[in-house]
Amino acid sequence: MALSSHAISNLVRRTRDFTERPRFAKGNVELWANLLIISWAAAFMLWQGVGFAITVSTVFAIWAILAVSLNLVVGYTGLLSVGHIGFFGIGAYAMAILSSDASYEQLRTEAIPTFGWPFFAALPISVVLAGLVAVVVGVAFNRFRDDIYVLVSFGFAVIAFNLFLNWRPLTRGAFGIHEIARPEIGGWTLSGPFEFLVLALVFLGIVVLISWFIVTSSFGRVLRAIREDEQAIEVFGYQTAHYKLAIWVISAMMAGLAGALFGSWTSFIDPNSFVLLESILLVSIVILGGLATIWGSILGAMAFVMLEEGMRFLPFLPPEFIGQARQVVLGILLVLLMLFRPQGLVGRFRL
Amino acid sequence: MSLAQLRAAPLGAWTRFREHHSRALATVLTTAVIAYVAWKIFQSPSQALQFAFNGLPVGAVYALLAMGFTLVYSTVWFFDLYYGAAAALGAYGVFYLRSQDFLGGRYDVNNHFVNIAFALVVAGVVAWALHVNFHSRLRTRLSPTALRAVGGAPSLAIGVYMWLVLANPNQLNAMLSPVIGALVAAVAFWLLHRGYGRLADNSRPISVLALAPPAAALGSYCGFLVAATPDANLYLSWGVSCVLAGAVSLALYRGLYVYMRLRAKSPLIMLVASLGILLAITAITTIIFRAAPRPLPEAFGSDVWTVAGANIKGFNVFAIGVAMAGFAGLLLLLKKTAFGTAVRAIGDDEEVSKVVGINTTVVIAVVFFIGAIFAALAGILSGHDTAIQPRMGLLLLLKGWIASVIGGIGNLHGAIIGGFALGMIEQFGIWDLAGEWKDVISFVVLIVFLSFWPQGLLPRR
Repeated sequence: MALSSHAISNLVRRTRDFTERPRFAKGNVELWANLLIISWAAAFMLWQGVGFAITVSTVFAIWAILAVSLNLVVGYTGLLSVGHIGFFGIGAYAMAILSSDASYEQLRTEAIPTFGWPFFAALPISVVLAGLVAVVVGVAFNRFRDDIYVLVSFGFAVIAFNLFLNWRPLTRGAFGIHEIARPEIGGWTLSGPFEFLVLALVFLGIVVLISWFIVTSSFGRVLRAIREDEQAIEVFGYQTAHYKLAIWVISAMMAGLAGALFGSWTSFIDPNSFVLLESILLVSIVILGGLATIWGSILGAMAFVMLEEGMRFLPFLPPEFIGQARQVVLGILLVLLMLFRPQGLVGRFRL
Repeated sequence: MSLAQLRAAPLGAWTRFREHHSRALATVLTTAVIAYVAWKIFQSPSQALQFAFNGLPVGAVYALLAMGFTLVYSTVWFFDLYYGAAAALGAYGVFYLRSQDFLGGRYDVNNHFVNIAFALVVAGVVAWALHVNFHSRLRTRLSPTALRAVGGAPSLAIGVYMWLVLANPNQLNAMLSPVIGALVAAVAFWLLHRGYGRLADNSRPISVLALAPPAAALGSYCGFLVAATPDANLYLSWGVSCVLAGAVSLALYRGLYVYMRLRAKSPLIMLVASLGILLAITAITTIIFRAAPRPLPEAFGSDVWTVAGANIKGFNVFAIGVAMAGFAGLLLLLKKTAFGTAVRAIGDDEEVSKVVGINTTVVIAVVFFIGAIFAALAGILSGHDTAIQPRMGLLLLLKGWIASVIGGIGNLHGAIIGGFALGMIEQFGIWDLAGEWKDVISFVVLIVFLSFWPQGLLPRR
């Protein structure tokens, strides 16, 4: 392949993410987005009190882990995956099956294998399981790109959802799994919501730290180069398939972690938490917050959670339509973003 | 840096193996599938025929979806996910228009906001169509005010008419009979004119006065016939909801995609934007109609035919016929008319087509309209066959997408073959598995196809 020095220098330039020209308050969308979302969140929590704040923050932490992990694939590597909820579900189901209370479970109609492990024993297994599935899926998906990648990742989400719903001897289908174990450290059970929130935030911190480490390393630079021009970086001798597979597996393991946390937090899961729609919402969080920034994903998750909570207080909106109204707003936001700001609110990469 | 030198791992070996032996693997897979089907037919021929009869109507729906999808994709080269919403809109349009009548009006959802919104969309689309067709010709002759009146009055009138039609769904036949009469008269006049031109001496054109009375008589007779049959309401509502889905598609194209295609660097931007549209429309549908599955009223052909021990509903035969007719019509349109040539030219190179004088905006708009009508038809047919729910759109969209990938993206013959193949594969696949694995089967088929035949069965030439 002929590759001019111009193309190479272009590639090198583009792998450094752009930063916007610093502006004063008026045109600085990033600043205003940050201010608006954070102050909105803070005001809401102050208004609604501690219990509300703890619940909302836990939801936020789980979505943020998912969004940060997906941003590694979508924002940094440029693979628009819409199937990430599958790994979330695998983590949640692994946690549920490994740790739900065996004596309680056997009372129910359909017996499924349960192990009754403690949370911290089941957690690594859930994460590794999500990673193993990701290896298989990633090897199959590695050759696809762009539109076709979107289609096959839709396919992964649909297949995963159908497995959760229909593999009844393992998941009990639509009835779901109850009594999932709460985390326990040396005899001290983190049963209260506040303790769980702290745990979720610690895991969010770990995920952010790992992601930050990845994206600032040379590994992250290769990922960005793959996003910009896969053939050019192949010419330099990089095995792009390995890089794509590696980031895919890492991201899936983070999503599995989020799923395990989610299962333990709600202590009951059923397939409805892992439908294709949730996956699309997750992608829209990542795009809304900003592609190729970790902070953007956190901000996007905050905006997403706050959007729902904010809609709860609209007087003309019946409570059963909140989810749908949020979906309408997100859909319109996606269109507007694609028109005017394809990098998202604080993004560093234009789709 | 050691990470940069990751080499010679099993992944490369698998890729090499797949690349070198893909033909052998494909042959093995095909043989296995054929052997499975042959074994099943040998086991129980009548049951195999029954499964084929189940698969064909499903395949017809997928084929319709794939044809419209492939038409749009091979013209503009991005995946328009509004397409799924069009399928859901078509089905829910029929439900909306029939909800006052069937099941004792239990699901009556007729609502002024919805009526006025759709009337506005239609009026806007008509105004744009008038603008595109007549503005440049009349601009020099009329003052701007007169131009606005000339464009605005008909579109306003059509919008009001649409609003009246939507607001009185149980008198669809009376409301629509003038339109149908006029359409029949126009078609009859055109046919007579063409036929006379072919048969008789071309040098002496026949007077319009000689042809107009019979055409007008036929048109008014048909109009009265429609106005006198309340049973026609269901089928008229099919037409209305197809047109509405098409109008929304046109509005989206003109209001959004035109600007976006100028700015977008990659097709993914368009894909994500249309994903947002799909999300929003699905949610609005859910707000209006609720998430629970709903039935559509019974269409004709509920009686069952028995052929060699296997049953098929008359309506399913009709669905297959619709898919075939859609294929034939689209093929004629693309291969025999100037419009089809323009569509293919735009698919090959949009810039050059602009340079040679094709009005690409209009041609692409018509392509979007046709695509949305195909989707809406598919949604209606599948809705009458099973039930409708707001999230059916996304699943139908994905099935259409899979079918067009299987058939070969951008190839019309491939689309119909892929659609029927996907329907049959799903049905034969659930013979030994349970019916709930249908979606898994079709996506596994997709991944297998993309791995071994990434070009599909019939690649685009």
